[in-house]
Amino acid sequence: MATKLKEVDAVIVGLGWTGGILAKELAAAGLKVVALERGAMRSTDKDFALPNVRDELRYVVRHELMQNTARDTLTVRNNPSQEALPMRRLGSFLPGEVVGGSAVHWSGHTWRWTDMEFNVRSLYEERYGKNFIPADMTIRDWGITYAELEPYYDRFEYTAAISGKAGNIQGQIQPGGNPFEAPRARDYPLPPLTPILAAEMFTEAAKNNGYHPFPRPSANASRAYTNPDGAKFGACVYCGYCQRFGCEANAKGSPHIAVIPIAMRNPNFELRTHSWVTKVLKDSDGKRVTGVTYTNVLNGEEFEQPAGMVLLCAYAINNVHLMLLSGIGQPYDPVAQTGVIGKNYCYQTGSGATLFFEGRHFNPFMNAGGSNATIDDFNINWDFDRGPHGFVGGYNMSGGFNTVLPIGYRPVPRGTPQWGKEWKAATAKWYQTAMNIGASGSVMANRYNYYDLDPTYRNAFGQPLMRMTFDYKENEHKLGRHAAQQINAIAKSMNPTRLNEATARTDPWTVVPYQSTHNTGGTIMGTNPRDSAVNKYLQSWDCHNLFLIGANVFVHNASYNPTGPVGALAYWTADAIKNRYVKNPAPLVPA
Amino acid sequence: MRRLRQGAPWLLVALAAAAAGAARADGDSARGEQRFADCVACHSTERDVNGVGPSLYGVLERKAGELTDFRYSPALRRSGITWTAQALDTFIADPQKMVPANRMPYGGMPDAGDRADLIAYLQKAAK
Repeated sequence: MATKLKEVDAVIVGLGWTGGILAKELAAAGLKVVALERGAMRSTDKDFALPNVRDELRYVVRHELMQNTARDTLTVRNNPSQEALPMRRLGSFLPGEVVGGSAVHWSGHTWRWTDMEFNVRSLYEERYGKNFIPADMTIRDWGITYAELEPYYDRFEYTAAISGKAGNIQGQIQPGGNPFEAPRARDYPLPPLTPILAAEMFTEAAKNNGYHPFPRPSANASRAYTNPDGAKFGACVYCGYCQRFGCEANAKGSPHIAVIPIAMRNPNFELRTHSWVTKVLKDSDGKRVTGVTYTNVLNGEEFEQPAGMVLLCAYAINNVHLMLLSGIGQPYDPVAQTGVIGKNYCYQTGSGATLFFEGRHFNPFMNAGGSNATIDDFNINWDFDRGPHGFVGGYNMSGGFNTVLPIGYRPVPRGTPQWGKEWKAATAKWYQTAMNIGASGSVMANRYNYYDLDPTYRNAFGQPLMRMTFDYKENEHKLGRHAAQQINAIAKSMNPTRLNEATARTDPWTVVPYQSTHNTGGTIMGTNPRDSAVNKYLQSWDCHNLFLIGANVFVHNASYNPTGPVGALAYWTADAIKNRYVKNPAPLVPA
Repeated sequence: MRRLRQGAPWLLVALAAAAAGAARADGDSARGEQRFADCVACHSTERDVNGVGPSLYGVLERKAGELTDFRYSPALRRSGITWTAQALDTFIADPQKMVPANRMPYGGMPDAGDRADLIAYLQKAAK
């Protein structure tokens, strides 16, 4: 029997960026807030200090900061005709499971998604006609605008210590920045990171090819920084252990050093770690939620936490899973095309080349999470005509390194044996001479890419696993082929000694190897409850005191990393709750 | 605000100081407080407040690796350094050069005037 606890104003499920932002904001507004986090407390001084953090076995192979698949995982398949099987080991994506969530082990890439995403269907239909978008591509406009989010992007960038170079300040194009970005009110809080050789060489080559390279904006503080809330950041030391690691120098914008400690100092806020939420509880009339049930994973004790408001701030996949487990909203059915929960799951695609330059020393052990130069000429550049190539979306291309680890990173030219004496000789010869050019591509929503509950497999709590049905469609194959072609053209213009050419991802998607922790959709936002789960304030259409905050509300996935809009939407939702919802607890948008 | 440091006389003084390996004694603690921004994500000047780095309370004239409640690198514990203004100046300029394999994730403060200001601040704030 679950122990029923005293009611609070708001319960937050999952304490990463979104949970941390909401916790800090709502506690400051005077609400009693409890956060329930599955994982353990982690801090820079106790857990990420040198030398222990630089441990590839612990963090890369054994996934210490990530979800434990022995307790809960997903089943996966490529299409509805297959039987889904459990992913017993993390691979393709890596959800975090600690205080700070995935934002402890992220690299920090932070982008502003623009109206090119938010108005995707209108824009493509207007330019290319209705038939350009395939019938099974379930993209549509998001119901939110860049102008609405601009101040919140700004807020997140200043909170998370983003280093970068503005490309467009209030309509004025800034030399050295991204000329295609939407206008921003002001520059980033910190100047760009010091470029590494690979980024410099890519920048030069991209310019020579007529493109517009710029330093990638990222939450790696280029110098010591105090954010507007008073959180202190050290300067990035380019240690090369960024993605999958906590930052040893307090230089990475992570919620465990930014928003969470500020919430923790507020007596209105309480954090309970090792607390696994199993269900969101509905009121008898189904119009409101009344709280959550959770299990203390250290001793198995079960609790009910009543709350005036429930905020799902877990990893995107787990937010959707909780909705399905709780029976809130109608599950999506891809055949009948009814229901919304589970709809429009999206991922990302990509392509990459490795270039070898005999005689060059790239020092791959020195880099930051955002140590690369990027071009958006094939991404948010609307002058790039997709018509002849027949795809919707785009890709950003970059040259440089991110966390190419001393043990794990062994670049060798194609054709080298995969083990033995020759491999050893090749790895010694080429280690210093290699650099990468990669593309990260969008994935458009498709009728047959979705989540539902698995009929067979269950987790440690006896609940059905989430089932993911996903594959790349022809749109992504076309985009991938275009990206590979452009990468190879730039790579060849640099005259490398050897080149491992980029190829498009056209094989069916699998859970190995690692590809991207950018899983989006499942409880998408929109303008009406018929085809979306939440309104533009991320408020459930079904239960007005339930908010779903995270990339699970994205209607499709762009080429960019998702954290910029995730952070901005968290602040946007916090404002909507503080300024409107608490005064008048009702739907913020009429259904 | 940074004072302007232009012109040959200052440069000669700085070069002479560097050549002699001497810390400058003309640091300004108010400016040093600004320089301390480089340190504050990991270090506190309050007694017994350790973060990623040890408390800097009373650091001047302390022996390296002396605090019992902080886990130092073996390199720093064995260094035998006493943190005089001179030793701190050399260390902050290039930490890995003075104590190879120490664990402080900091690239160094190259400007002698900045270091003098910082040390003046530590002398004032951390005692």
